[in-house]
Amino acid sequence: MAYAEDYSPNELLVATAARELRDGELGFVGVGTAGRAFTLAVGIPIAAARLAQMTHAPNFTIYWGNLLSPDLQRIPPKLTQHHITTWPAAAQLSNTGDKCDMLARRQFDVCFDSAPQIDRFGNLNITAIGEYRRPKARLIGCLAQTDHLAFVSRPIVLTDLRKRTFVERVDFITSVGYLDGKDSRIKAGLAPGGPWKVITDKAVFGFHAETKEMQLESLHPGVTLEDVLESMSFRPALPQHIGQTEPPTQEQVRLIRQEIDPNRILLVA
Amino acid sequence: MQRKLMQLSDAARLVPSGSCITIGGSIIRRTPVAFVRELIRQGVTDLHVLGFPAGITTDMLAGVGALRRVEAVYEGLFQFGMAHNFRRGVEAGEIEVRDFPETAMIARFRAASQGISFMPTKVLLGTGMAKHNPEQIREITCPFTGEKYHAVQAATSDFTVLHGYVGDEFGNVQWPVQRDSDDIDFIQAKAAQRLIVTVERIVPHAEIARQPTLTYVPHQWVEAIVEVPYGAHPGSCDGYYDEDEEHMQYYQECAKDPARFKEYAATYIYGVTDHWDYLQKAVTVKRLSQLSVR
Repeated sequence: MAYAEDYSPNELLVATAARELRDGELGFVGVGTAGRAFTLAVGIPIAAARLAQMTHAPNFTIYWGNLLSPDLQRIPPKLTQHHITTWPAAAQLSNTGDKCDMLARRQFDVCFDSAPQIDRFGNLNITAIGEYRRPKARLIGCLAQTDHLAFVSRPIVLTDLRKRTFVERVDFITSVGYLDGKDSRIKAGLAPGGPWKVITDKAVFGFHAETKEMQLESLHPGVTLEDVLESMSFRPALPQHIGQTEPPTQEQVRLIRQEIDPNRILLVA
Repeated sequence: MQRKLMQLSDAARLVPSGSCITIGGSIIRRTPVAFVRELIRQGVTDLHVLGFPAGITTDMLAGVGALRRVEAVYEGLFQFGMAHNFRRGVEAGEIEVRDFPETAMIARFRAASQGISFMPTKVLLGTGMAKHNPEQIREITCPFTGEKYHAVQAATSDFTVLHGYVGDEFGNVQWPVQRDSDDIDFIQAKAAQRLIVTVERIVPHAEIARQPTLTYVPHQWVEAIVEVPYGAHPGSCDGYYDEDEEHMQYYQECAKDPARFKEYAATYIYGVTDHWDYLQKAVTVKRLSQLSVR
């Protein structure tokens, strides 16, 4: 299993996310708006799900939009409405309420989420920057991200490492991670959960077992600790040993380029 | 069964300024855009909109200054980006907004559909939405287990407006076998006080009666049904036509700048006499045939 030497940053993210998916699990993929937000919220998760299916997790499946277990061997050539309507899938339940019931009953193992703000304790903000009632920048709202972080066992956050994104405290808590750290999430009445991994363009983070602070796990090849710390507004917990993110294998890169996303529908930006 | 077929202008006239309306569909799919353009043409303003994912209809209302408040799970235009008019209005303090995640908004419509005043949910525990909205989200304790919940207020509106596929003159609306179900039109219809449905096509009752299990909005719930082909344009109607990407991109270019959106509204909303005139201006026969997926 030789590692690839030539791979794109997005291909590294796809391979890294795919490694977190386990055989037989159900994952949720949301919608994204355009450009980079779409690639992070939709493109990389779908590619990672398919890559997991083609390698170590053949029975991994996803819920995308309102499609349960869409056929990922046939990713539509375009994501306009009719391609979504006619995408072969195991089920399309009668309305979105059924999906929300599945979420509340904790039937999802993993989910993918992205946000323009995430804080030390993994709380996410996709609602408003600044004051809620008179925001500096109004964002998109909540969608089901709040639901994912409340009810899914292992949420995976995919977002680029930037100072303005990784903040000490989010301006608004759209989705509860570990709230104020330690056992505050449980005290608030939520079941165990909270972000499992935060996968960025520079490094991968987890959360400290007790304090629940974001903790650096691995640096992507070629990235230094200084690069990472300079890209964050808070200092994450640092373990004794910081590993290097495992690069994609030659086979993973081949699968992504030739079989999963040959028309560059998913990894667009 | 009573005949409920109406003209678009007459149906829109039912809705006075200041109303609270639930708008169905999802973002840019199967939303009653033609109905909203007609409301704007008639000068209806000061609207309070309840949506699931809000999209182009809410953004249009924001762009012409007819929107007072929104309660929804999302405001944006999916692959076409942010809802610029809406965003500007909220940032200027002109539009009030209260956010709800999907589970909570569905709970609110389910409460209304069952004739009860609230529904319990755990999805809002610890969130900013709960903190900033004590009027509609309040902590309660389960009388059986002692667990902490939030009660969310029923989503009751004066009017509910949906766009559907086919229906008959009595207001029986059916969905096709192959469709996109990523919305809660069915729950919103059940929750409605006064329900107006626009459909792509009015068909004979006999056609509806052949497959009654496909009827998701029965005549009993409906006050007015209106035939509006391409009534979701420039958005899509699953099974009928795709979103008009060129028009959507043009809409977004205009929406970025208030002056340009004024021109857009002058051309495509105020500058047309009715929906047929809109179609004449906004599309060509060639374009419609490209968009069709039937």
